[in-house]
Amino acid sequence: MTHRHKLWGALILLACFHALVFFAGFFAPYDFATHNRELAFAPPTRIHFVDAQGKFHARPFVYGLKNDPANSGIYATDSTQVYPVHFFERGSAYKLAGIFPSRLHLFGVDDPGRIFLMGTDAFGRDQFSRFLYGGRISLMAGWIAAGLSLLIGIIVGTLAGFYGGWIDQILMRGGELFLALPWLYLLFAVRAALPLHIAEWQVFLLLIAVMGLIGWARPARLIRGVVLSAKERNFVLAARGFGASDAYVICRHVLPQTYGVVLTQMTLLIPQYVLAEVTLSFLGLGVSEPMPSWGTLLAALQQYYVLSSFWWMFLPALFLIPVFLLYYAAADALQERLSSVPL
Amino acid sequence: MRYLAHRLIHATLLLLAISFFSFALLQLAPGDYFDSMRLNPQMSRQTLTGMRSEYGLDRPLPVRYGHWLVSLLHGQLGVSLASRGPVAPVLRVRARNTLVLSGTATLFAWLLALPIGIWSATKRGGWADRIWSVATSALLTIPDLVLFLGLLLLAIRTGWFPTGGMRTEAAADLGLWSSAKDFALHLILPAFGVALVSLPVLVRHIRAAMIEALDSPFLRAARGHGIPNSRLLFRYALPAASNPLISLLGFSVATMLSVSALAEIVLSWPGLGPLLVESILSRDVYVVVAIVMLSSVFLVAGNLFADLLLFASDPRIRME
Amino acid sequence: MARTPNRKSSRKSSWYGEGTLRMDARPQLALDRREPLVRVQHLSKQYVQRRPLTRAKFTVQALDDANLTIWRGTTLALIGESGSGKSTLARCLALLEKPSGGAIWFAGENLLELNAKDHSKFHRRIQLIFQDPTSALNPRLSAAEIVAEPLAIQREGTKISRRRRALELMEQVGLPARWEHKRPLEFSGGQRQRLAIARALALEPQLLILDEALSSLDLANQEMLLELLADLQAAHSLTYLHISHDLRLVSQCADEVAVMNERKIVEQKSAAELFANPEHPYTRELLAAMPSLESICLERSA
Repeated sequence: MTHRHKLWGALILLACFHALVFFAGFFAPYDFATHNRELAFAPPTRIHFVDAQGKFHARPFVYGLKNDPANSGIYATDSTQVYPVHFFERGSAYKLAGIFPSRLHLFGVDDPGRIFLMGTDAFGRDQFSRFLYGGRISLMAGWIAAGLSLLIGIIVGTLAGFYGGWIDQILMRGGELFLALPWLYLLFAVRAALPLHIAEWQVFLLLIAVMGLIGWARPARLIRGVVLSAKERNFVLAARGFGASDAYVICRHVLPQTYGVVLTQMTLLIPQYVLAEVTLSFLGLGVSEPMPSWGTLLAALQQYYVLSSFWWMFLPALFLIPVFLLYYAAADALQERLSSVPL
Repeated sequence: MRYLAHRLIHATLLLLAISFFSFALLQLAPGDYFDSMRLNPQMSRQTLTGMRSEYGLDRPLPVRYGHWLVSLLHGQLGVSLASRGPVAPVLRVRARNTLVLSGTATLFAWLLALPIGIWSATKRGGWADRIWSVATSALLTIPDLVLFLGLLLLAIRTGWFPTGGMRTEAAADLGLWSSAKDFALHLILPAFGVALVSLPVLVRHIRAAMIEALDSPFLRAARGHGIPNSRLLFRYALPAASNPLISLLGFSVATMLSVSALAEIVLSWPGLGPLLVESILSRDVYVVVAIVMLSSVFLVAGNLFADLLLFASDPRIRME
Repeated sequence: MARTPNRKSSRKSSWYGEGTLRMDARPQLALDRREPLVRVQHLSKQYVQRRPLTRAKFTVQALDDANLTIWRGTTLALIGESGSGKSTLARCLALLEKPSGGAIWFAGENLLELNAKDHSKFHRRIQLIFQDPTSALNPRLSAAEIVAEPLAIQREGTKISRRRRALELMEQVGLPARWEHKRPLEFSGGQRQRLAIARALALEPQLLILDEALSSLDLANQEMLLELLADLQAAHSLTYLHISHDLRLVSQCADEVAVMNERKIVEQKSAAELFANPEHPYTRELLAAMPSLESICLERSA
């Protein structure tokens, strides 16, 4: 498999996954906050094609859930209640991509049936829907924070590499400061500097800002390296020979050389920042309930009884792995591509 | 000598900057430790104000930083608001625990990474190399958090390992051998987890360093002289690769305080990690600053140590 | 001012396998009808560098009291071994480096005492062609964009007019206009150098500095490019400063030759005179290294 196949494969799969998350409202049967208190910690619903009488149905269906009165918490399926799965049906209201109101869902079952593809949590909330909605928060945090870091990194790296001298010294020393601090601790410490109880969206924005402001040092260093070698190239000198200003040289000749590095860094930083957000939320330092984030989904696992008795609660953690895998595969392929392109 | 002095000054300045940075960061946060007490109707405002000034929380920032610096020089790290005592003893215990964990983890990691890296380098391109490459890449993609949670799950499901903490309650009563065994059982899981997390990067670097050494002309010349492969590997290639390996070791040492933070939290190992999170949540300012400073000292010192080792061992660097 | 006649026909066979030089092919311009375009006086340039670990400073002298005169409309060849300071001199002249001392008089003005605005003006009048055309052209741009770049930088005309002028220039150097969208890597070495020349001509310079511009080309390409340069010189009244270490090349195209040794100019004479009567010991060494020249010089003096 050439690196080109690898790159496009990874990118396409990533795009699919992001689309899934972006249109969470459509793909998720329920809202992320809908409680079903009587169905706390329900296991994932089995989808059936063959009913109790052995008859095959083209349309999949699920059985109703019944709380066993003797052992509360243990669920038994009630095969007398059959709920066929409807596709493209109207369900609860949501906003598509946060803007357009809609009621259309990809799949769902009629009330009082429930379809929990990944089970429920302590409040009876559908984990699958929370996973998709939570992905929105976590991925968005990762993307924006990575973008911020890169933006700062590009500015700092270009200035330091291009002008050298004391600007370079100051900026790189500053970067060293950030690199010298263990990033996890720094993240905690900076988070600690923020007020602990503020509005959700403010937490989210602050979180992104904090992560973005911490991680600019390494990309800045890499970009500085590219800029240093680019500014010595003869075509830059030639442009100067025509009377080009610094700004022109930077925009037209130097910055385009950094695109490769920027792209690769992007694919490496995004998963790192997503993980940072997940870790913070897991520890209760990130977004707080009821806003879902992959971190808050995993937070429930800190209690032993949850971890040992309800295996489906671990699923979000497992699904994180392929996402990261795709990002790293894309980063790898990009690296190979970069090093093979002449120039 | 000039080099050494230069690097030491550089390191000290860096640490000073870090201390100021972390100090300022925390002091800028709105609210403080005593905010949570405000809700208690039995605490009057005067009492709170009194407590605040007792801990010096009402003085301006530069003054507090100055005081903190001075007390630092005396070996004091400030006062913990939560435990109402000096920070240093609290930190000492926790730091010791963390070092035990990460020290063991680093040992595990290197014991695993060296053979794998060397083997991959010698069998470069072969099936062994490819398998290890895939395995380490797979390990790399698993997020740390997921790995530790997975280990926790393993402990719970199988019952082979205790699910957290450093010792069982009754351990003190047991004999030396049993309590040592108990300690080891508690240590294994988190140490293994941390080792796994640091493994991929180590293997990659070791492999790269070995490949570079094995490809060098002097080694090929030696091979041409008919020196057997095993001797080549250990007497020629390994020493040649020692430069990058030394700085890698320095890097391992440097991150010793921080790499195990998440493992400690998930697997309830009483180290610096959980203390940090607690202190953040309760705004125990001086503790947070002290922890950040301590780990930064380790980082800077570790890197400096690695650089100096490199300088001392590689004659090429010494001659300019 | 008299234009030198087209020397195309006289150059053709000069290098075919024989190693002889056709000194009689270049007519001399009457001395009193020449005016200096560039006068370099006591030019010096130092670099300050730091040793890698101890950071101790030490200075490198790149140019030391160099003196040079380039007459309008002629070709001056600057010869010398590597490290003698030829490229540094070229860059100072092209305003790419700032000399540490001395003066450069260009058409009556001292280039070292220019303000920023005039600096830009003089960038238009002096252009530099690099030795390696590949590195001098941005591989991401198309040929037309590259040639039009000087015009874009100096903000001349509109995008359309710039493109048109770029295509004109390409035709002038012998590259078909339909190649305007090709990238530099799709051209051969000789073609890339032509592109560089086209670009340099965009702002209608008076002085063209060729820093070993033909050294990286094979002999056939060198010959073709020399022809092209001669044509362009005649058509646009250009003055050339040809920096080279290749005496054969120099003998074909130079009106005057300056010899550089140890960061100084040790001798400057008309080409014929230099090859016939080298004065400075270094010049003699240089010429002695080329046996065929010796024989010719002996022939002529005999």
